[in-house]
Amino acid sequence: MKNHRMRILAASMLLLAAPVITHADTLSDIKARGVLTVGVKNDYPPYGYMDNNGNTVGFEISLARYIANELLGSPDKIKLVPVNASNRMQFLNSGQIDIIMATLGVTPDRAKQIDFTDEYVSAAGPSILARKEVKFTQWEQLKGQKICGIQGSYFNKTVTEKYGLQLVNFTALPEAYRALQDNRCVAMVFDDMSLQNKLKEPGWSDYKIAVKPYEYLPMAGGLRKGDDAFRAAVDKAIVKAEGEDKLIGWEKEFDMPPSPYIAKRAEAARAAAK
Amino acid sequence: MFGLDFSWLLDPTYQQWLLQGVLQTLELAALSSAFAIVIGLLGAFCLTFRLAWLDASIELFVELFRNTPPLLQMLFFYFTLTQIGFTTEDPVTGLQVPLISAFMSATVSLSLFGGALCIEAFRSGFDAVPKATLEAARSLGYTRWGLFRHVQVPIASRICLPPLTNVLTNLFKTTSQASVITVPELMYAAGQIYNDTFRTLEVMLLILVIYVVLVSLVVWLIGWVQRALAYPGYGA
Repeated sequence: MKNHRMRILAASMLLLAAPVITHADTLSDIKARGVLTVGVKNDYPPYGYMDNNGNTVGFEISLARYIANELLGSPDKIKLVPVNASNRMQFLNSGQIDIIMATLGVTPDRAKQIDFTDEYVSAAGPSILARKEVKFTQWEQLKGQKICGIQGSYFNKTVTEKYGLQLVNFTALPEAYRALQDNRCVAMVFDDMSLQNKLKEPGWSDYKIAVKPYEYLPMAGGLRKGDDAFRAAVDKAIVKAEGEDKLIGWEKEFDMPPSPYIAKRAEAARAAAK
Repeated sequence: MFGLDFSWLLDPTYQQWLLQGVLQTLELAALSSAFAIVIGLLGAFCLTFRLAWLDASIELFVELFRNTPPLLQMLFFYFTLTQIGFTTEDPVTGLQVPLISAFMSATVSLSLFGGALCIEAFRSGFDAVPKATLEAARSLGYTRWGLFRHVQVPIASRICLPPLTNVLTNLFKTTSQASVITVPELMYAAGQIYNDTFRTLEVMLLILVIYVVLVSLVVWLIGWVQRALAYPGYGA
């Protein structure tokens, strides 16, 4: 009896988790549907966040709208689906979204599961947010220290193995920030851009970026594997936007420090167009 | 089979996370079960006095901890207590740090939650002890404590072992919620690993098997106690 029940349980788990078989021609699908479904962040300024009117805006949202305009003729033929770091690849591979544009860093591990579009941003990796009084300035000084973090961050394994951080990982950012303010951790590790933005908020004047990022990581859109026609169309739109200096414009619009990487991409796109 | 890929199991970091997860789960389950049983026995003992105010306070305790989600209780002990001043000064840094750690928050909340369920389980056991037996014992000159220790507990514990099995297996599984307040138990380790490897199905299958094995051990252990204590007429 018990055996039988276990077998049913195992079988239903398999069914639940089995990737939905989608045929790899998203481009004609979205043209037939007339809408591009994009997985975005809505809690991550400047890339994707809610403005005071409750609209999702940001650097990546503008780029997604530009792509929708290129593919479907209108920046409004788009459906924005909020995703987070730990569920976005499942959303993509189960067919609930067509493309991830949600601060997705390009890593070899992820490349085994999904395809990437052209890289459009080079983002600083993790840095360390801590109280102003702390003395440490180097990653090497954090060995064995209790550091708050977020489950699903791409750098968790690296900082554990390479720098020996003792990570205390929360599922969501508000809890992690709360725990840091309660002094449950000596510091918090997260994407540099996000932490920099946190420092601008009221109530965070006693904190600083104590340790600078150890790496920079290109960010790109994420697509299902082998969806080549769709990828070519999206890449074409991204390069076009770069050549028109749109990304530099959004950089200014969303209050990002000017990045040499984006300027260089714009130049390359213009050179290629000639 | 089904293209399952378990190669991540060879990674020493993941192995260490998993091992730590199993140990933390066992530690959390053992501690909270022990406290829950003590709370259950104490509560049920108090109920035998039939004192109105004592009954009411135990009733309130049971209602509060049995009828609210254990996840909420855990978050309360972890976050809210710190907010309302349960802090202490760290001698090294001079900062106000929380009085109880994540592990302690989880242990306390699971003990109270499990304790509330145990009180109910034990109460049903005590209620089932035949009145005639109690009267017979009283007429033999047993004191109140002696009656409890030598008559009520031995009979009641045998009757309430089956419901207690349910309570303790439930408590064991509820330890998985401690992952939310960052106790690095089995579920937390699983989350870390599948977020890193994207092998969600494989990781879930593995920890499913681990939970089945561990909970089966608990069931077997209580079953063993039950058989060892068995005497004709009471319980299994």
